[in-house]
Amino acid sequence: MSTLKVNVKRYTLIRNLVFAWLTAVILAGFLLNIPKINILEHTARNLYFHVPMWFTMMAAAFVSGYHSLKVLQTGDEIRDIRALQAARVGTFFGILGLTTGIVWSRFTWYVGTDVWWNFDPRQIMVTIQLLIYGGYFVLRSAFDEPKKRAKISAVFNLFAMTALPFLLYVIPRQMDSLHPGAEGNPAFSQITAPVMRLVFYPAIIGFIGLFWVLYTQRVRVAWLKYRVTQEAEM
Amino acid sequence: MKISLLHAIQDAANQALPDSTDGIVHTAYDSLWTGADIPTQTPSALEQVMLADDKIFVVLAVVMIIWIGIIILVMRTDKHLKSVERSVEENIPNQDDGL
Repeated sequence: MSTLKVNVKRYTLIRNLVFAWLTAVILAGFLLNIPKINILEHTARNLYFHVPMWFTMMAAAFVSGYHSLKVLQTGDEIRDIRALQAARVGTFFGILGLTTGIVWSRFTWYVGTDVWWNFDPRQIMVTIQLLIYGGYFVLRSAFDEPKKRAKISAVFNLFAMTALPFLLYVIPRQMDSLHPGAEGNPAFSQITAPVMRLVFYPAIIGFIGLFWVLYTQRVRVAWLKYRVTQEAEM
Repeated sequence: MKISLLHAIQDAANQALPDSTDGIVHTAYDSLWTGADIPTQTPSALEQVMLADDKIFVVLAVVMIIWIGIIILVMRTDKHLKSVERSVEENIPNQDDGL
């Protein structure tokens, strides 16, 4: 049995659960009362949507890296397609996270300044991380031979996965940043209202679930393409 | 000097409508369309809900419409996928799955 084959029944069940779960998260995110804070006001609710994008990207990087590791360990090159699809969906969530962060900061801390790109350490580091994934996708196109492509891009993908925690979490915390958790503090300060955690943690689970749904859907398409053409995707 | 479109719109709005003293910023949006009929009846139940809390429920309604649209899109794509998977299984003999 190929590692590309998806259990469609299980996929459909999880998909429906994820959709119901995230719908509840969105409703709770808008409807639950939160303390009003200057500058932030209602945008504090972005915590439920902007931050889970990064958790989701990290989860995607680990899924992708896991399959790349398996390619190298077992020589099961078909897993390379799973690594590719996870990296693609993860990068998609990363771009969403970057864009939502730009919009959020523009209309809160940077109101009246016309600053859309503020060179926040996190903003720079995640851009580098996204460029690393850009490099991964470009690198893949350099090989015609699927076995070679699978192995060499797996090595690069493991590097991308290893770099991610440092670029997203470790380095930005050592520098002055808009983000909580600068100066090495825990990211969640004690001023974050308890009611927000009630929505925030389920939101992380829900968006990682959404990643799984989108990624698995792409794997299904890739599997079909492979069955029809007998060629692995670039 | 940087000229942004948003600022140009804001300036035009400010010229047309001088700021009042009630603490609310007036723009073209708040009076451009109300010239015809100034509402006289009390807000309906639906309006009372939707206008509460700085009208955040209007945003919620918009987000939910988009979200449900995305759900329907993904589900329809899955349906298509299922039928294509079925016809591939029927028409292409099962080959060695390893690459």
